[in-house]
Amino acid sequence: MIWVIHTLNGVSFGMLLFLLAAGLSLIYGLMKILNLTHGSYYLVGAYIGSTVIATTGSFVLALIVAPLVVAVLGMVMERFFLRRFHLDELPQTLLTFGFLFIFADLSLWIWGGDPIMLPKPALFSRSIDIGGLGYPTYRLMLIAVGLLVALILWWFQERTRLGAMLRAGVDDAEIARAMGIDVSLLFTLVFAVGAMLAAFGGVLGGPIIGAGPGTDFDVMLLAFVVVIIGGLGSLRGALVGGLLVGLLDNFGKIFFPEFALFTIFVPMAIILSFRPTGLFGRA
Amino acid sequence: MVSSVATILGRSISRRATASALVCAVPLAMVSSVSFAQAPPLKIGVILPLSGNFTPAGEDALTGLRIYFDSINNEVAGRKIQLIVEDEQGRPDVALTKARKLVENDKVQILTGFVSSAVALAVNDYAREKKIPMVISADGGANELTTPGPLANPYLVRTSQNGRTPSAAAAEYVFKQGWRKVAALTSDYAGGFDTIGGFAQAFCKLGGTIVQEQYPPLNTNDFGPYVTGIKRDADAVVTFLPGAGGLKFAKQFIELGLKDKMPLMDIFGQIAYEPYLPQLADGGLGILSVLHYTPMIKTPENEAFVKEYVARAKRLPSDNGPDAWVGAKAIAEAAKAVDGKVEDTDKFLAAFRTLKFDSPKGPISFDKFGQVIHSMYIRKVEKVGNDYANVPVQAINNIDQFWPFSLEEFESYKYRYADLKGSMTDCKKVLEKK
Repeated sequence: MIWVIHTLNGVSFGMLLFLLAAGLSLIYGLMKILNLTHGSYYLVGAYIGSTVIATTGSFVLALIVAPLVVAVLGMVMERFFLRRFHLDELPQTLLTFGFLFIFADLSLWIWGGDPIMLPKPALFSRSIDIGGLGYPTYRLMLIAVGLLVALILWWFQERTRLGAMLRAGVDDAEIARAMGIDVSLLFTLVFAVGAMLAAFGGVLGGPIIGAGPGTDFDVMLLAFVVVIIGGLGSLRGALVGGLLVGLLDNFGKIFFPEFALFTIFVPMAIILSFRPTGLFGRA
Repeated sequence: MVSSVATILGRSISRRATASALVCAVPLAMVSSVSFAQAPPLKIGVILPLSGNFTPAGEDALTGLRIYFDSINNEVAGRKIQLIVEDEQGRPDVALTKARKLVENDKVQILTGFVSSAVALAVNDYAREKKIPMVISADGGANELTTPGPLANPYLVRTSQNGRTPSAAAAEYVFKQGWRKVAALTSDYAGGFDTIGGFAQAFCKLGGTIVQEQYPPLNTNDFGPYVTGIKRDADAVVTFLPGAGGLKFAKQFIELGLKDKMPLMDIFGQIAYEPYLPQLADGGLGILSVLHYTPMIKTPENEAFVKEYVARAKRLPSDNGPDAWVGAKAIAEAAKAVDGKVEDTDKFLAAFRTLKFDSPKGPISFDKFGQVIHSMYIRKVEKVGNDYANVPVQAINNIDQFWPFSLEEFESYKYRYADLKGSMTDCKKVLEKK
């Protein structure tokens, strides 16, 4: 029975990783921007979430407000800063790196240096019995939400007009523009959605990973590993990569505890040596 | 619009002009008064993490330090005390650079602070080479710094806790409760091995056994696998998880319902850390911890300290506050004992080691290696009014760094704690003699 729990642990953490990595992957896929601010969206999302919960007591409201605020931050970053360096990778990456520090210092200033854990919503703060062992329902909820988000993103990408435009933009931005697609609007939109997903992950991950100085770096690293394994630019890659990393990390820590630091990076190195573009990435 | 910008610019320029005139005048006046009436200032380099993971500890230490120096008007033996504070960001490489800058550019006479053991170890060699008194007063608990061996530094004194003593106190308390088999969880780094090694040694000596050891990395995000993996037949769980790790672990430990089934002994109070208590809320009630301090100590010294601390920091002090307070007081008292001649390093440090005084954390003295001898408190999280607090359950006064062993017995063991990682469950090896 303990193995069921270990598996659930791995899958739920994997779903969280998927939420964190999906936005990063989307943004890279369309704009070829390696967004190093991605972990900051998580951090700021979690902090805003904690403030919303502290003032209103509503986890659901936090899940709405934090992603929206962070989406606006992402839009501003894209519109007024990154746009100036379109397809110019080095300045873009450096710019996002700069934003990482700005957000980190602002967060330290506003929310202080103590690490925090978000409280769980009352509805999911219980444990259920799995073979005589308690298992938190929150983690089960996380799995369900992760699947739901994956489904919505898939539907958006494959079944909506905007999604079709997005896919066209990913394949060939120039031709898409020639076909009359407003690629610039698409860029801002995708940036907003990417930031929003990370902040959503920030609120949902708040009760598990928490937030504090340095969490932005940790989360960014995790998201990059997931995206590199899954393949940059692929949503399916983010989902499979997230689950794979979640499970490998969990079981790696159980079977090879002395390598706990590397349980995430060893699989990444192995996969990269066989598929340099990741599992679902295109060269 | 344009004109308003111009006015603002004009105003700021004129303001800056007056300011610079003032700035020019003041140093002249200061220099003359300093050179004739007073000895040169006592410059103290403070190396603390004021950004990054260890920020709260760094801020607490700085507040404690300032409380003491402010209480003596930043002056001792006719010398003005000048603090030069540097942020080491929790990184050993940065700390070493800052130490060099403080000693070589700022010409400080004393280095103090040091939260992370890694940071203390990084600066240790440099301080020894430069013969600069290094007053560890904010944690930096690596045992080797104050025990005979290659890292021992005659220019080092420590007013904060070393790694093993709280562990030994925890072992005694756990054993006394009748808990004979414990599962141990410790962060995977030097400080972790020191802490759990100290526990294993004392616990094995008493007759208990560690049935499981787990070493989550310092930056573990998800403690799920570790919490789920705890052996359920253990009588108690013993942890040392500094930083955010303690909070993350405790949340999951409570949620999985384990806290109601097995007692949790948190060495060094990393989980029962005051800022975390409101976050753990009722779930945290009953968590046991060992530390050389709790704000709930009922002595006049501590009550005055806590009052001043809360007024400044708007929160209760962690152990870093009183540790740094003791560091500041010891520096000042030792400086007084040598008539302010801190530059005579050997005399200053000799005076430092013979100090005895009362402090917020209890009676203070030092051993010949420069390690503080103070009290250990077994604490329990309880609800006090509407708040949660670490209420002292038991106090052990005047314990030195080798307690309950003598230096001779301590030195007779074959393995260093770091070498025991992975074999703490084997009491025979833990207690093997040279």
